[in-house]
Amino acid sequence: MEFLINWLSNVPQSAVPFALAALGLIVCERSGVLNLGAEGYLLVGANAGAGAMLTTGSPMFAFVLAALAGGALSLLFALLVINLRMNQVISGLTIVFFAQGLTSLIAARNGWTSRSFSGLDQLDFGLLTDIPVLGPILFNQDAIVYLTVALFAGAVFVFKRTEIGLQIRAVGENPAAADSTGVSVSLYRYLAVVSGAMLIGLAGGYLSVGVSKIWVDDMAGGRGWIAIALMIFARWQFWPALAGAVLFGCIEALIPRVAAVGLQVPQYFVLMLPYVATLCAMVWVSLDRTRHSGVPAALGEPYVREERR
Amino acid sequence: MKMKLALTCSFLLALPGLSTAMADSAKSFSLADDPKPALVLLSNKNDGGWSQALDEARAKVGKELGLRIPVVENVPENAAAIRPTVETFIDRGFNVIIGSAFGYSDTFKELAAEYPDVAFLNAAGTTNSDNLQSFYGRTYQSQYLCGMVAGGLSESGKLGFVGANPYGLVNWTVNAYLMGARQINPDATVTVVFTGAWNDPVKERAAAEALVEQGIDVIGQHVDTPTPQIVAQEKGIYGTGHHRDFSEFSAATQCSSVWVWERFLAPEIEEIAAGGWEVEPNGAFLSIADGGADIACCGDAVPEGLEARVMAEREALIDGKQIFAGPITDSKGTVRVEEGEVLSDADLWSMDWFVPGVVSQQ
Repeated sequence: MEFLINWLSNVPQSAVPFALAALGLIVCERSGVLNLGAEGYLLVGANAGAGAMLTTGSPMFAFVLAALAGGALSLLFALLVINLRMNQVISGLTIVFFAQGLTSLIAARNGWTSRSFSGLDQLDFGLLTDIPVLGPILFNQDAIVYLTVALFAGAVFVFKRTEIGLQIRAVGENPAAADSTGVSVSLYRYLAVVSGAMLIGLAGGYLSVGVSKIWVDDMAGGRGWIAIALMIFARWQFWPALAGAVLFGCIEALIPRVAAVGLQVPQYFVLMLPYVATLCAMVWVSLDRTRHSGVPAALGEPYVREERR
Repeated sequence: MKMKLALTCSFLLALPGLSTAMADSAKSFSLADDPKPALVLLSNKNDGGWSQALDEARAKVGKELGLRIPVVENVPENAAAIRPTVETFIDRGFNVIIGSAFGYSDTFKELAAEYPDVAFLNAAGTTNSDNLQSFYGRTYQSQYLCGMVAGGLSESGKLGFVGANPYGLVNWTVNAYLMGARQINPDATVTVVFTGAWNDPVKERAAAEALVEQGIDVIGQHVDTPTPQIVAQEKGIYGTGHHRDFSEFSAATQCSSVWVWERFLAPEIEEIAAGGWEVEPNGAFLSIADGGADIACCGDAVPEGLEARVMAEREALIDGKQIFAGPITDSKGTVRVEEGEVLSDADLWSMDWFVPGVVSQQ
């Protein structure tokens, strides 16, 4: 029982980086811009967050800065793929390598590497937190955990109910049609790319400020790529992406605990589990032919007005 | 030819460590000019761990030998990155190239063949030739001593250990850690969690927290970041570090297994300069006496009596005491080292077993 509580109360913390990163990716890609740079936005977010904690000690400021860092880096990406219409695959990968170099340079110059800082406090909801079992799991998490759920709800609302969401979807499905009705393709793509990157930057900030409480080079550790798989698995839909992130969080929080009790399960099998889960999900999605795969129709294609395709 | 290749392959598979031995007996090597060493680093020179330890050795060696030794950072483990870096150094007249990664092994072997008048040294490498020597430390000695500190500090007798991947050079530190702890507390256990990554603070924190949940009260580590030490500080327990003295990052750290490469590199470069340098056919596998890994000990929490016992044991190791001396039986009951024998270097590199008292998934 104690094992179960320890495990499940750690799930949200493990799930949030995946959830926020997948959310940011979906926001971006629904506008038709392929985003392979998630790992890079995670790194700049984590770097900015850690730097802010080490210099000011304010988590609030750290998260704002992390989101802004992601957004700032995405302006470069947006310039490349929206204005200059460069290949989105190559531009996305470039962003990753650029962020790796940039963040290690900044950390090295400022002596941030391996320096610990205090992180986030768990919120206390009084009576709710004291409920046995459910209290520590649901009502004793940090603020970003609850913010993540709110951001998902917000994104669903914006995409389903508002004009802005409709237009982002339109430029992602059929930019020519959207353009002909007077919707600015570039404007809405910029909006989606930058706000998506801010969310991934926030995910990165959570990785360093909320979880590890330390910066080391390359600390995103491939989580950006997992988030991309999650987005595909979720067919570019918000709630399934959150569910997928929670599944990943469950496995990530379970792995060290299985090891710490000395359960005789082969090590490499356990470490492989999240990736097996991803593979299975992707196979399952591609086998199910009755449903639309969810890929935005114009994904990955630069928009040039009046170009024949 | 095929037969020879197959034999070589099976040999390499059998000895994943510092092998490629048994080729021709090494010829001696001499430099044409005065030595001009250069260092090629895998990551940032102030990464707090592995690379920083090598860079600190570079500065000390340079001072000792009166040389200016340049360094290039962040050279990843692929030929396309290593080759131009090394060739640039060689073009500028540098003739002792020092590498820093397992993943440099193959490229260094090729470069050593192409530049026979340049000496190559590679930390954590696996390849050797007439002018290329890999080197690594016998970290089981330093971790054994840290295990003694941990065993003495623990009240519950339950120690935790965060490791990267369960292969030879990590497994031997885990086993030695427990064997050291049992010198002080014969009932001590070590619970080990592997993260599957060398440099992932998120996974290291999760591993350390899971260990604390299980009631451990001292945490050791063989991963690159000081995260387990920082968790120890947060939870009010003690820890022992790896790579460098991690008390720099955490007040919980009472002892660390530290690299002392300068003690090996300075005399080695002098030997190369003197002419007649002979490469160890299996690479240099350095004990505390040779200057590979040593301990930084002890923190304020370590009582004087314990410190004295650790230091006495360190002297014994320098005088030739063997840690993996028989009889040793593993946790499944298989005899691994017979009475009166000592585990061979090849068996150390392929160690895939744990001694009784190690709690693990294997």
